[in-house]
Amino acid sequence: MAGRQMRIDEYRIEEEPYYLPTGDELTIAEAAYADGSPLLLKGPTGCGKTRFMQYLAWRLQRPLITVSCHDDLSTSDLVGRYLIRAGEAVWTDGPLTMAVRAGAICYLDEIVEARKDTTVVIHPLADDRRQLPIEKRGELLTAPAEFMLAVSYNPGYQSVLKDLKASTRQRFIALSFDYPDPDKEIEIVCQEGHLGIELAKPLVKLATMTRGLKDSGLAEGASTRLLIQTGKLIGRGIPVKAACRAAISEALTDDRELLAALDEMVSSLF
Amino acid sequence: MDLEDLKDTFYRLVAPSLPNEWDVEEALAPLIDSETQHLEEIFAQIPAIWPVSHSLCFAYLSAAGPALSSLALDELSLWVHTLLDRYETGGLRSAQVFMADVESQFARPLRGQGGLRLIDVRPRLQPYVNGLAGRELPLIGAAEAATDTESIYLPGEIGLFTENDDNFLLYKLMVSFQWACLAGGVFDAPPAVRLHRKSAHPLDCYFSEFDRPDHARRLFHLLETGRILGFLRQELPGLMRQAALLLPRLPLSGDHASSPNVLDLLQRGLVREQWPKADHHLPPLVERAVALCHQCSDHATDNTLSLEAVRELMAMLQPEEDLAATSPLVFQGTLRLQEIRNLGMRQQADKALCLMQTMTARLPTVEAKQADGAEHHQAAATTHNQDAAVIIDADSAWEQLPPFMQSLSQRIDNRPPAEEPEQSLTSRPSPQVEPSVSAAEGKGGQAFAQFSKVRPGEGEGAVEPVVYDEWDYRRKGFRKNWCVVREKELPPAQNTFIEQTLKQYRGQIRRLRHQFELLQTGERFVRRQREGNDIDFDALVESLADNRAGRPPSDRVFIRLARDHRDIAVTFLVDMSNSTAGWVGQSIKESLVLICEAMEVLNDRYAIYGFSGMRRLRCEVFPVKRMDERYTGVVRQRISAIGPREYTRMAPAIRHMTSLFDQVEAKIRLLIVLSDGKPEDYDDYKGEYAIEDTRHALLEAKAKGIHPFCITIDRQAHEYMAHMYGEVNYIFIDKVNQLPARMPEIYRVLTS
Repeated sequence: MAGRQMRIDEYRIEEEPYYLPTGDELTIAEAAYADGSPLLLKGPTGCGKTRFMQYLAWRLQRPLITVSCHDDLSTSDLVGRYLIRAGEAVWTDGPLTMAVRAGAICYLDEIVEARKDTTVVIHPLADDRRQLPIEKRGELLTAPAEFMLAVSYNPGYQSVLKDLKASTRQRFIALSFDYPDPDKEIEIVCQEGHLGIELAKPLVKLATMTRGLKDSGLAEGASTRLLIQTGKLIGRGIPVKAACRAAISEALTDDRELLAALDEMVSSLF
Repeated sequence: MDLEDLKDTFYRLVAPSLPNEWDVEEALAPLIDSETQHLEEIFAQIPAIWPVSHSLCFAYLSAAGPALSSLALDELSLWVHTLLDRYETGGLRSAQVFMADVESQFARPLRGQGGLRLIDVRPRLQPYVNGLAGRELPLIGAAEAATDTESIYLPGEIGLFTENDDNFLLYKLMVSFQWACLAGGVFDAPPAVRLHRKSAHPLDCYFSEFDRPDHARRLFHLLETGRILGFLRQELPGLMRQAALLLPRLPLSGDHASSPNVLDLLQRGLVREQWPKADHHLPPLVERAVALCHQCSDHATDNTLSLEAVRELMAMLQPEEDLAATSPLVFQGTLRLQEIRNLGMRQQADKALCLMQTMTARLPTVEAKQADGAEHHQAAATTHNQDAAVIIDADSAWEQLPPFMQSLSQRIDNRPPAEEPEQSLTSRPSPQVEPSVSAAEGKGGQAFAQFSKVRPGEGEGAVEPVVYDEWDYRRKGFRKNWCVVREKELPPAQNTFIEQTLKQYRGQIRRLRHQFELLQTGERFVRRQREGNDIDFDALVESLADNRAGRPPSDRVFIRLARDHRDIAVTFLVDMSNSTAGWVGQSIKESLVLICEAMEVLNDRYAIYGFSGMRRLRCEVFPVKRMDERYTGVVRQRISAIGPREYTRMAPAIRHMTSLFDQVEAKIRLLIVLSDGKPEDYDDYKGEYAIEDTRHALLEAKAKGIHPFCITIDRQAHEYMAHMYGEVNYIFIDKVNQLPARMPEIYRVLTS
């Protein structure tokens, strides 16, 4: 038990992560936590969902266990499994079970990537029962008040295959995230990318332009995360245009014509 | 060669057509003295042009001789290729313009001596301006740069500078400038202006208050240009830094004027920074104009300052001073105020209509209990969850509605018992239902006919016709927008065909289902894995025993659930041409039933389409089962409705299937074509042309990641098949009655 306690402590966030609230998301999330309701975060990639969870965990002083979902994720990967050690079968908790036992926050990132039959395991946890059945051990865990379940997904991937089941999504308090307003985004890029406002401003303008290219074949525009990365490159002495090319244009598309158009935007702005 | 020889050759080339001798003589007369080598090359192009248009061919013959004086002999075929493209996009007139000036239309661009063309820069600049504007702003070719708020017009070619990089920069500046005009509010209506005509732009009304409106307009546009350049310097500093090197090199219309007017002087100041020196020789108008121009560029955030400046300057403008000689700056272009106004009014009208539609389509919800038929209709209404309409049968209900609701409602007379049965409303597959279509439409279509699409009648396409290119092997290019494909509903037929088939092939279907079940590799446990969901006890016992016995134990003691997802989508495209009448058609239908029965045990998505048609403008595709549709009774009835129709123009149908496949996400996409022979249509579409077009359509499908496979039912194998379908992509069946048995077999082999 002591070993497990040690491990869960590794998930605690000691330092305050930088997060600039864009609306009432924090108030809602804290109210949901107080009520024991699970959270669903949706929004485009790199707009601050994961950072928000880190910030929330820090504010609530709970460990944050993040699981990045993928299509080969099985129920055992979440709940736990028996392992053989020295000729004995030893049960090992999965991240979800660990979070329930420790009263941590379990954050399933990009939940739509996981297969639908896997996500069903969170159903009893995500309603008022707040229970996690561990069939292999014949155990029924009831989550303590401190436990919170949060999931995220990106509604931008317009694929019929990548959508949440109604029965899953209707258990959550949903928070919609989007890229921040230009002013706030500039502030974030200045702070996180260690940039001056004179460079952060056109960077944000560039990002706004790329976000308008949905009809021209760009599925998603430059995220705030990309801007921060660009800022960091510039801070390391990479020339602005090269940094934009490497961190934004090339990261967004392989299409030669779109790349050329993005280059034109960069050369117009800087 | 004399005229008779030329005529002979010509008639041989265009056989079996027999064009008017008089026309032919007239077209060939200019060629009599041409060299034999030239003649051969000119005549070699005729087979490509003649089928496209006879008049074009005659025009070509008259133009080809002179054209060869500007072209090398081997450039002629490329010239003809471009000519045909011109003809198909712009018609005979455009082709004639193209032929009339070989040098500038073709030869110079070919030798890289032309300027930069819009079509070459559009792929780069279109996303650029979309990004700037945050919406689609199409770039359209025009004589001068301009915008009408919905599109940006640009010259078709820019050759002002010798370096194309500079020409490109000018294009980019034009695009950015026109966008900035929209973003900077150049076209905003002045605050207090009397509209003398409702259809006129408020700015035009403002200008018309002056005695010379055109001058006021020109002054305003230039002052605004100054302001917009300032705006651009702020918004796109990088662009303006580059442009600073380009702008001074722009030619100005005032460069050669003996006494430059105020506009010329301002233009010089704006693009070359050559502002008139402030001294006592300067006319007061110019001095004031310069001051105002600076004011507008530096301080204004909208067009009010420019408008006031115009009023002030117009008062100072001497009657003899003429500003009409000054042409606007090249990137500035023209003001299209009237078009902007028209567009605005149209958008307003659309908005009003849209509002009306929403109001009328949202009928109030009323609990309908009393009327007998009410539940029935309510069911109809709720099947389309986007429809907020409820239909109440009872007459009394209308009177019970409060007056404001009555005004929102439509009273529908549903007395005429429409021929179609009630259930057709509910059983209609939902993808065909327009989201905006009211549930009331089926019964009371009249009431809504003004604004909602009336449900297509039987046999009419629910989907808009689609246009496809056709491959012409003779010119090694596409005939643009050549074939029109319509999706037509196949009216379900009720007969005993399905039952008989199911009965006849009872045993075979059972066997097939079993075979297909084996294909179904959904989930299975893989034993003896290093990692897994569960412990493999057999392996564990072995491993422990090994350990005890002193042998190295295996660490593969887990079971893993492997999911081999069969991610396959397949379309069966069935030939419904006239030649399939009789046993061939019967067998095709039977094999479709068999394959459907077998497919039901698999999770593979599949669609069935029939095709036929006559001529290029009436290619028809009949959906029997769409990809997401279930194999229901209606589908079965549609299968029995498959019957011989017209001709076999296969390629447009294949292209249509390819484009439908674009919307399907699957690892393996398979297109199985069932046909009874060569592609052929009523017109010239036969022989080599048809084979090459079909072959090309199949290659296009392949390029899009679709695997085409063709099953041909014919008495004997033909050489063309391997060429058309590709060596391994077809199978030939000579005994028709084998088809039902073979087809599921073929599918099984293809997908496993």
